[in-house]
Amino acid sequence: TTILLRDFNNLLEEGVDHNVIIQAGEEPNTKSFRAHSGILRARCPYFRTALSETWVKPQEDGVIIFKKPNISAEIFDIILKYIYTGKIALDKQDGTGILRLLMAADELILHDLFGFIQQH
Amino acid sequence: MSSRKQPKGKIRPPKKPNSADAQFNDNWDRLAQAIREIHKKNASILSFEELYRNAYNMVLHKNGDKLYNGVREVITQHLEEVAVSQVVPAFPLSGASSSQTNPNGAGGANFLKVLKTVWEDHTTCMLMIRDILMYMDRVYAKTANVPLVYDLGLDLFRDTIVRSQNYPIQNHLLEVLLQQIKLERENEIIDRTNVKASIDMLLELTDASTKDTVYATDFENKFLETSSEYYRVEGQMLVGEYDAPEYMKKVDKRLNEEEQRVRHYLSQTTEPKIRNIVEEELISKHLKTVIEMENSGLIPMLRNEKMDDLGRMYKLFGRVVKGHDEMKSAISDYIRELGKAINETVTSNTTAEGGNAASGDKQTGATVAVRWVQEVLDLKDKFDKVQNLALSNDKAFQTSFNEAFEYFINKNSKSPEFISLFIDDNLKKGLKGKTEEEVDSVLDKTITLFRFIGEKDVFERYYKQHLAKRLLLGRSVSDDAERGMIGKLKVECGYQFTTKLEGMFNDMRISSDTMTDFKEYLDKSVLEKPKLDLSVTVLTSTFWPMNLSASPRCNLPPELTKACGTFQNFYLGRHSGRRLTWQSNMGTADIRGSFKARKHELNVSTYQMVILLMFNDKQDGESLSYEQIKGESDIPEADLKRNLQSLACAKYKILVKEPKGKEINPGDQFNFNNDFTAPLQRIKIQTVASKVESEGERKETREKVEEARKHQTEAAIVRIMKDRKTMEHNLLIAEVVKQLQSRFMPNPALIKKRIEALIEREYLERATGDRRVYNYLA
Repeated sequence: TTILLRDFNNLLEEGVDHNVIIQAGEEPNTKSFRAHSGILRARCPYFRTALSETWVKPQEDGVIIFKKPNISAEIFDIILKYIYTGKIALDKQDGTGILRLLMAADELILHDLFGFIQQH
Repeated sequence: MSSRKQPKGKIRPPKKPNSADAQFNDNWDRLAQAIREIHKKNASILSFEELYRNAYNMVLHKNGDKLYNGVREVITQHLEEVAVSQVVPAFPLSGASSSQTNPNGAGGANFLKVLKTVWEDHTTCMLMIRDILMYMDRVYAKTANVPLVYDLGLDLFRDTIVRSQNYPIQNHLLEVLLQQIKLERENEIIDRTNVKASIDMLLELTDASTKDTVYATDFENKFLETSSEYYRVEGQMLVGEYDAPEYMKKVDKRLNEEEQRVRHYLSQTTEPKIRNIVEEELISKHLKTVIEMENSGLIPMLRNEKMDDLGRMYKLFGRVVKGHDEMKSAISDYIRELGKAINETVTSNTTAEGGNAASGDKQTGATVAVRWVQEVLDLKDKFDKVQNLALSNDKAFQTSFNEAFEYFINKNSKSPEFISLFIDDNLKKGLKGKTEEEVDSVLDKTITLFRFIGEKDVFERYYKQHLAKRLLLGRSVSDDAERGMIGKLKVECGYQFTTKLEGMFNDMRISSDTMTDFKEYLDKSVLEKPKLDLSVTVLTSTFWPMNLSASPRCNLPPELTKACGTFQNFYLGRHSGRRLTWQSNMGTADIRGSFKARKHELNVSTYQMVILLMFNDKQDGESLSYEQIKGESDIPEADLKRNLQSLACAKYKILVKEPKGKEINPGDQFNFNNDFTAPLQRIKIQTVASKVESEGERKETREKVEEARKHQTEAAIVRIMKDRKTMEHNLLIAEVVKQLQSRFMPNPALIKKRIEALIEREYLERATGDRRVYNYLA
């Protein structure tokens, strides 16, 4: 499982074959993350619907641009890592950070993560 | 839209109330607008992220109920519009005019088509609305214990469209559906897709109070009611117009159609219900009518061996409770009727021959027996075939057929004798024309008839008599076949019966060995050899059915008497303590007769030999009177008459009788027929062998059987009482019946008499105190 973790982490960081670009944060403090719709939809109920054919039209190159303005880049980075690896590091977060993380997990319907942060 | 500047998602800083209200209004306006766009099929301009976030914010800020109710309102409004603008205009013209202008229910079909579109649009929209309100479903609906938004949509559709309070949509829908089904039943082609869409819709909607589907609450009962009525009318029409096979085909077709209909566009739960209705209206209600249809009902089908129709009836009627019972009893009655007819031909034949029987023409008697058995076997074959080909070898039918056969076979009191005669006929002559396998299969079938006989002891008695004649007269063609038959009887009756039969076979074998020894003995002996070849069969009297205790009267020629004496000395020398009685009534002799034309070798009975030898001493043309022959031979009168008949009145006339005629009467004169000619050198003078018994003989056989039954009954009583020591009257009777019923059905009066006889002979006593209880006296 550590190998699996490592590989998924690499997949996220290298963005090989990505087909989604997520812009997190409000202008102008946005950051783009490269991701894979398959993984997002498999791991996260919110994205399962948000990235379904009903709601998105990919660009001509097949890439989906998805904007998530109400979640900051910093928070979304952590969430995305969690989605890919199931791991999350809360030690570096202060109270505000934790709270934001909690709200993001709630909005994206990441129940496990929500529960985990609450326990923390 | 993503360019909106208002910051969101920060819940910590408390907002001013009016600011929250404003945000609520803003969020809601956008959502309501979005839902309207979805309804207008404009969803492509919407941003999921934003709408989701709006709903999320509303729920997060405790405005879930307002959101939920708002959504309800928007959807309801939309559906009201749909009802007015799409559904109501599509109403088919109602009443009589509709069937005139739309004979194929086109108006109805169009209505269903519109409804299908409306329903499809609604569900598509609801899926999108569910998407953007996912957070509300997950967080608000769960805690507020209200239906998820998609289910809310279904309920709204149910109440606003399907069960609209404002428009008679429900009436039209049900009417159209039932009309479409009716059209299809009347062989119109309908568009099943539209019907199926509406049915599926009703299946997806739930009735709030019953928690059952709207299909079940609104549609199914009406469908079943109309179907019931439809098939009630059709059933009455069909029985009037079609014959039984056609009727059944129609019913088959209907059942099939209804099954297909359910499979194609109704709910599977309806299948047993509609099936029951068709079965009730088309089968149960007309069972008797169809069975009894003249010229085409059950009996004509049996008569003409319509196996397909019978099979169809079996399958069809098996669907309803009484169906097979009705069939069974009708067929059984028919078997009894046919059996009665077979029995009647026999009785009319035998009474017609009653006069002849006395005159000795008994061959036809045997033919009657053979024919009776053959006809019963043919009948059995016929119904075996029916059973096999049409009734799936149904055990219940088999039992009922067997009872019918048993009934009429036992109605013919001569059946045990007839069956034995039939076997006799097959073991005697049958092999000449048939292979052993064929004979074996005939005998197997005969055994099945034998099983039906109630009085097996009577059969046994006849079988022994017939077997004895076959063995003694050398008529039995195959030893293997005989033993095969005994084997079969052993299976049926047990070895007690067959030991005696096997004893008879043993006697035959030992006798043949004895004769070899006798010849050797004569060769070595210094005694004068007899002038004739003597062949003796020694019978053990207990094995054989005839009374062998005394020699019948007959004056044998001296040479024969002498030869008999020689054998007797030889035999008693080997087996001391035995007694031989000569049965001259059963023997045969080969004698040579010189006639004008040529010499013939005559195979005759011992009695006939005795008669013929008398003519050796006479001149040509010199006659002997009946009285002279009787006096000199001392042959018993009945036997004498029969043998004279064989010699003078049958096929080969060795003697000439004056006056001519079939009957032998006192005063008749007999001459040796010197002019006798025959194509064969060796001639067998037929003696009357197997035959149907005359009334007198029958009575005698009956008496013997009754006597044997008394012994068997007493033996059974003693056996039981020895075991139980003491027993109550009714229980004893029941036990005796149980033990004897495989051989015959003893009647309680007979058993009671035997009990009394045993009390008299002090085997039993009545218990002191209770006279209904017996004690065994050791």
